[in-house]
Amino acid sequence: MESIKLSKHEHKPLQVNPIKHSQPMGAALAFMGIRNSLPLMHASQGCASYTKVFYTRHFNEPIAMYNTSVSDITAVLDGGDYSILMSIENITKKNKTMKPELIGLHTTGLTETKGDDVRSVGMHIEIPYCYVNTPDFEGGMESGWALTAKALIEQHTKVSTEIKANKILVLPHVSMQPIEVEKIKEFCESFGFETYALPDLSTSLDGYLSEGQGKLGTGAIGIDDIVKLADCSHVISLGVSMKMAAKALLKKNENIGHLHFDNVMGLKNCDNFVSSLMKIRQIEPKPLIKRWRGRLQDAMLDSHFLIGSSHFVITGEPDMCCGMCELLQSVGGTVDAVVATTYSPVLEGLDVENVFVGDLEDAQKYFQNTDLVISNFHAERLLHLQDKDTALVLRGFPNYEELGNQLKNDQLYEGSTYFLFEVANKLREQKHHG
Amino acid sequence: MVNRAKIKELMNESACSHSKDKKPGEGCDKPKPGLAAGGCAFDGAQISLFPYADAVHLVHGPQTCLGASWETRETLSSYKGRDHTVMGFTTGITTNDVIFGGDKRLEDSIKYIVQHYKPEAIFVYSTCVTALVGDDIDMTCKLAAQKNNIPVVPVHAPGFVGGKNLGSRLAGEAVLEHLIGTKEPEFTTPYDINLIGDYNVTGDMWQYLPIFERIGIRVLSSLSGDGRVGSIRTAHRAKLNVIVCAKSLITLCRKMNEKYAIPWISVSFYGKRDTTFAIREIVKALGDEKLMAKAEEVIAELEEGLEKKLLPYKEMFAGKKAVLNTGGNKAWSIASGLQDLGVEVVATSIRKSTADDIEKAREYLGENGVLMKTPASQQAQVIDERGADILLAGGRSLYTAIKKKISFIDVNQEKKVSYGGYDGLLNLAEDLKYAFLNPVFKNVSAKAPWEEM
Repeated sequence: MESIKLSKHEHKPLQVNPIKHSQPMGAALAFMGIRNSLPLMHASQGCASYTKVFYTRHFNEPIAMYNTSVSDITAVLDGGDYSILMSIENITKKNKTMKPELIGLHTTGLTETKGDDVRSVGMHIEIPYCYVNTPDFEGGMESGWALTAKALIEQHTKVSTEIKANKILVLPHVSMQPIEVEKIKEFCESFGFETYALPDLSTSLDGYLSEGQGKLGTGAIGIDDIVKLADCSHVISLGVSMKMAAKALLKKNENIGHLHFDNVMGLKNCDNFVSSLMKIRQIEPKPLIKRWRGRLQDAMLDSHFLIGSSHFVITGEPDMCCGMCELLQSVGGTVDAVVATTYSPVLEGLDVENVFVGDLEDAQKYFQNTDLVISNFHAERLLHLQDKDTALVLRGFPNYEELGNQLKNDQLYEGSTYFLFEVANKLREQKHHG
Repeated sequence: MVNRAKIKELMNESACSHSKDKKPGEGCDKPKPGLAAGGCAFDGAQISLFPYADAVHLVHGPQTCLGASWETRETLSSYKGRDHTVMGFTTGITTNDVIFGGDKRLEDSIKYIVQHYKPEAIFVYSTCVTALVGDDIDMTCKLAAQKNNIPVVPVHAPGFVGGKNLGSRLAGEAVLEHLIGTKEPEFTTPYDINLIGDYNVTGDMWQYLPIFERIGIRVLSSLSGDGRVGSIRTAHRAKLNVIVCAKSLITLCRKMNEKYAIPWISVSFYGKRDTTFAIREIVKALGDEKLMAKAEEVIAELEEGLEKKLLPYKEMFAGKKAVLNTGGNKAWSIASGLQDLGVEVVATSIRKSTADDIEKAREYLGENGVLMKTPASQQAQVIDERGADILLAGGRSLYTAIKKKISFIDVNQEKKVSYGGYDGLLNLAEDLKYAFLNPVFKNVSAKAPWEEM
């Protein structure tokens, strides 16, 4: 089989069975992670409709999303002012009880091609306004999410020279599900930090029954919090994609310390994370954290036989692939291929024979000779077509088949433990019964 | 390419009941900024043509258009070859293509598809960006068709020209212009029909096709449920066009009538009464006495069998009242199905309905039925006033049902079984039964310990 090289350029003219998702979709999700925000996609109505259905089916939740419904006429005649301002007026007029605290506007391929000046529109909007340029012919979901976090900081966080000891900001990458953000925040809080996450999905799309959902974002961080982020003592970026957002915060206050982790999966990465937190606070972790570390050690030993004798293929957003790949390798798993949605420098560092940007047509070539695939739900049907029985663990967007996606936790000692068991159990099923 | 004259013509469809109350030239509504929900024209076009399993559907645009939409619809196919309906193909254009044009990428993509997948045809969908930068999709398709000797059909329904409905019409235009009438069928019968607008979602068509077969009605081609490009090319030889629950393809049928003198009728296969009515309408339109007699015989037999199977359900559902909150023709078609099962439908939504739909809803619900114009704010009150036992609505209304402690069915959720035809009614009955029996709606609404203090 001819191997595909890791490159910023596509290796074929089209995508067949794509896994890549667009930048605007990442931006929309990020705005849902802000309290009382109104995610507004500057696009034709279809872009928003597809995105809404996509997240509704993945999370099984009502999704707060609006669009400016650019038409063929406004595409040519309007510079964006009309459709954006009319949208805000129409939406707030129709929902009189709705009190958005932020208009989260982001562009799409269409509105970037026509070249709207979405920045200047903000001068005519009374509600706090954040704009992000996210054409869907560049980048992907991961960068759309990261660009939004960066834009929120750049446009709203006030410059400061003060530092509030023990206040930190965590920047989670796009593939982290609501429960994972919550667990990481809780983890930091147990060290005594006043912890913020941006975006913060821990109270948005987290599968929580309440009334009147789906009108505004219900994230756990508000625009008033974002304004005051520059007095954090540290900013912690999780995932290479989030580095740029961290750097944006450093520009607001040069006294802020920056900690970066490519991921917090597996013993080594989690140990690094813990030792950094210990160093700042000069305290030991809580007993339960130590207990979970022991459980992870045990899980690594329990699962090493099955995983250590198995081959894996991973597809998805780069930051997610990287964490899973390193965790499986730490217990002896052989990762045959990592097929990423978009290019990211984090892929360069992976010790895997086949790492490249591609689609499921490419990934499928490696499915035949592997034991377990980690991918989104699209891989399920492809694996059914094979003669050989290959196990599948569903991760990444979208997963239309399984329930409770928002509560799947793969992070830190605890999540890594459950992840290893899930993988090992799937392998056992396939090897014994397959 | 797409032009204003064509869009204007489609938006002012004379045969559409939407156009009745409008001044000439006014046509369908343009989406309002901020308030447009639902899909775009591209979405509609894709839905209309995607079920052709023997063709590859190539989306010429940036990532969102296909990346978020492939493998999302349960349109089943019996195609024995490689089923392209569960696959996604996109040129996924990048900045370079926006600046320099995407024609070369499109040409290379078509070449790649022909080489690797050998489809019977290729549909190429333009999208907002490729339409705006002005890629010459028509020429690229024409050259590729000549070179590879298969139909390569450009579908010009970029999202920004309008909603789903318009997109379906534009898809119909593409099929009419490039496919219909380009091939002769192997043989014809006096009972050949085209099925228009049924996409075989969860196998809806398969609920009634066996009945057609027994009566002797032959489906010459389908647009596009379980369809083949090879057969839609012969559609001009059919004796009748049968539109199934779809307003959008009326234009296609009117034009086929003008061009090929094929009459058309519009029917629905939801519930017992509608299915029977649909079969009668079809055989009546075909105008053959023997066929009509055979149809009556089959209908009588199937209705009797169904009634027997429905008895236990009807007993169980006696006295039950339902409130229905869903859009378009579902507002009356599901109501009709519920009534066939002995459930009283006390209210239905007419928020997005056409004049025809409203008339039908009134007919089915009777004088006392509530036709809700603003169901979101009305439904809770209606449930109280009429003492409804179940709410059938979209996911957003779940909370209303829980608060009112009544059963709930999410009618907008992707369903996995078909409610179509006679047998589909049994599937609906099963779902209703489980909804009525399920204590979850009462259990979940229990007060938390800290609320009882």
